[in-house]
Amino acid sequence: MAVKLFGCFIVFISSSLLGYIYSKKCSKRPNELRDLQGMLQIFENEISFLSNKLTDAFYKIYKQNESPVSNFFKSTAEILQKRPEISASEAWKDAVKLNIDATSFDKEDEKVIISFGKMLGSSDLEGQIKNIRLTLNQLKLQEQKAEEFRKKNEAMYRNLGILGGLAIIIILF
Amino acid sequence: MDIDLIFRIAAIGILVSVLNAVLTKSGREEQAMMTTLAGLIVVLMMIVKEIANLFETVKTIFQF
Repeated sequence: MAVKLFGCFIVFISSSLLGYIYSKKCSKRPNELRDLQGMLQIFENEISFLSNKLTDAFYKIYKQNESPVSNFFKSTAEILQKRPEISASEAWKDAVKLNIDATSFDKEDEKVIISFGKMLGSSDLEGQIKNIRLTLNQLKLQEQKAEEFRKKNEAMYRNLGILGGLAIIIILF
Repeated sequence: MDIDLIFRIAAIGILVSVLNAVLTKSGREEQAMMTTLAGLIVVLMMIVKEIANLFETVKTIFQF
């Protein structure tokens, strides 16, 4: 009897934790999108006013920010230093694939971020700035969608986790 | 006939109605409908055994 109770407890806790984690991920997404936009602004300023090299600009961005999004920039800089024959867009793509799990970004966000990397090393200053502006606009759109999504779903996932756990307990025990 | 079954069915009923409310409120009406149906099916499966028992008892009482 006690073992049964303990089992019920474990099922309940694990399922509500699942719901809670998913809801947290949902609510962190707009903030991370905003952080990414801020970092892209800093990047634009770096290359247009200060004319820094790519790796230095990335390192600077990483140092100035604390969010998990800055890991993209750090990984790209590291990959570029370790393998100097690789192109900037390939390095960016690898860095994104490595680090996307630690952030709360969606598949669509990932596509936008990778498409930013495609233009990265491949045109002159004006082209780069236009590319950054384009990506910033797309990210802003994603952020609005994410904000709406969050408002509707954050509480729902939490409640669903708890209720689903209760349902499993009642049906199976 | 143990009373456990009645409590379980009541609890499932309450849970299904709460789930329905949560899902309709956040706009997902089709999924609310699906959970209601699922709850119905689960309860039906629990009850079918008892109904078979009932028919057996009626048969033996009237000696068919």
